[in-house]
Amino acid sequence: MRYAFFPGCTLESAAEELMISTKKVAAALGIELIELDGWTCCGASHIQDVSDLLATSINARNISLAEDLKVDKLLTVCNTCTLMLRTAKLKMDKNEKVRNEVNEGLGRAGLEYKGTVEVTHLLWALIEDYGLENLRKMVRRPLTGLKVANFYGCHILMPPNVMGFENHMNPQSMEMVAEVLGAESVDFDQRLACCGFHAVFPAEKEVMDLTGKNCLSPKNSGADCIVTPCPLCQMQLDAYQPDAQKGFKEDITMPILHLPQLIGLALGFSPEELAIQRHVVDAIPALRESLAIV
Amino acid sequence: METLQCKIKRFDGKQEYYQNYEVPYEKGKTILWLLTKIREEQDPTLNFTSACRHAICGSCAVQINGSAFLACNSSLDEVLETFKTMKLTFEPLKNFDVVKDLVIVWEPKMEKMEQVKPWLIPSEEGTQETGFIQSEDNYHQIAAPTDCILCGVCASECNQLAVNDGTYLDPFILNRAYRFTVDSRDGSPEEHIRPVYENELWKCLHCMQCVTKCPKGIPLTDQIAYLRQESIRMGEVKNQGAKHAFAFHDDVKNKGRLNEVMLPIKTDGLVNTAMRKVPFALRMIKKGKINPFHMPKEVEGIKGVRELYKYAQEVGK
Repeated sequence: MRYAFFPGCTLESAAEELMISTKKVAAALGIELIELDGWTCCGASHIQDVSDLLATSINARNISLAEDLKVDKLLTVCNTCTLMLRTAKLKMDKNEKVRNEVNEGLGRAGLEYKGTVEVTHLLWALIEDYGLENLRKMVRRPLTGLKVANFYGCHILMPPNVMGFENHMNPQSMEMVAEVLGAESVDFDQRLACCGFHAVFPAEKEVMDLTGKNCLSPKNSGADCIVTPCPLCQMQLDAYQPDAQKGFKEDITMPILHLPQLIGLALGFSPEELAIQRHVVDAIPALRESLAIV
Repeated sequence: METLQCKIKRFDGKQEYYQNYEVPYEKGKTILWLLTKIREEQDPTLNFTSACRHAICGSCAVQINGSAFLACNSSLDEVLETFKTMKLTFEPLKNFDVVKDLVIVWEPKMEKMEQVKPWLIPSEEGTQETGFIQSEDNYHQIAAPTDCILCGVCASECNQLAVNDGTYLDPFILNRAYRFTVDSRDGSPEEHIRPVYENELWKCLHCMQCVTKCPKGIPLTDQIAYLRQESIRMGEVKNQGAKHAFAFHDDVKNKGRLNEVMLPIKTDGLVNTAMRKVPFALRMIKKGKINPFHMPKEVEGIKGVRELYKYAQEVGK
């Protein structure tokens, strides 16, 4: 299996552990990821607030770079990157006026958007392309006893006309993957909540309140850790957790894992190999206790 | 025969409680059919509002299993298929006060809406005698926003409203402001945008709930982006939201990728960042999540990226 790979900006710095764990997991599963040369930031749901055309243009450019690699799909590991790329793709594929206008600009950069590549997320690719039964065969250390809270994040689900992999009101993909890995999924109120990351600057107070609730809810449901398919949700819930704690009397401590880290643990990698020690809220004690990892 | 197990949140003005009802399943019905059947055959004290049954009056929106639906145009079978269960929990819309059972209060929301002047402020181009001449394009500008039936689904699902002190405007209010802002007959778009800007426009979390759940498919998040663009054109650039958006905009132009180290400084300014973000920065540096000396290099093909910026400026979008 071969994909063009769009890492997104966080994987180069704040969420480098996601780059490390994604590459480890992909290699172990025999998935080839070819990083795009010259990819740019997807706009992170902000650039459209300055210019719609630019938001579409930079992502049409990113997709066109993947088209040149002669692959079927461009793969991401970030919800927001996936949404931004797919939003641009939908506009380019459905609206001839937009397509012509954007291609005019791309032409000046020596590029053209053709529409030959799909945009997918690792979570979807594992289910749709790799197959969960094949993943099950690769499990070396079943995560028996680990209670995970699957925090989807908004942008892997909505809006459904752009995303649409599964029902946004009752998604099951994360639970399906957790089951294959041997972990137990815990139901909790905030399972489909918003992490608030995109407004953490202008709405700091409100977003910290959300962060606290998003940690407390799975904690009260008995989860050992949260797992998320999005590095932005991960950053909001993990790196800002000490700030969010200040607004809560109860202890909200909740370790937050990236999806590839959970998969990597089941494939037999150590927490250090998956760079789990890079998280602000130490996840290793919880893993050690539940999984008997030394 | 299969049975629907309905749990409905009741409120009598003092106490809240859940009441259970069992209804024999029937194929091809709506959610409103189910609620009406319970009221007519089992419990005449159950309160909910409804009128037109055709998704026009907007009065029958409720929450089912945590998501907001317009009861009259929601298929019972689709709801059962979505949640894969015969157990349905009904609750009133979120982010509204409740009068009784599933009935919510609209008056405070209407008073809040008045702030955006949800009426046409006529431009000088029209007169009482001749009216206005509108093109087909002019009409299409307002076609989607005038579809709003004020059902409250968007407000119920809004994640910012759920944690806000009440200042932030409900998505249907933003829609109303947008509707007059883009109306070719309106002569004072700034009078609609100014109050939107002043009521925490930049606090939208981008969660996509409103646009996902709107039963009329109104592109609410595109409208929010438009209102923000317009506030920027009006000169409102010295706020965290606009500065944050420009940080991304400028980083892509300069290097192609985001400079995470500089992002807080570009958004909050050096002094504020130094005063408020030091503990955050230190814990990020300690874990290796921020390298203060990491400066992104220009991506391959950056000249082409800058061509896209030049082009966007030329076409004025």
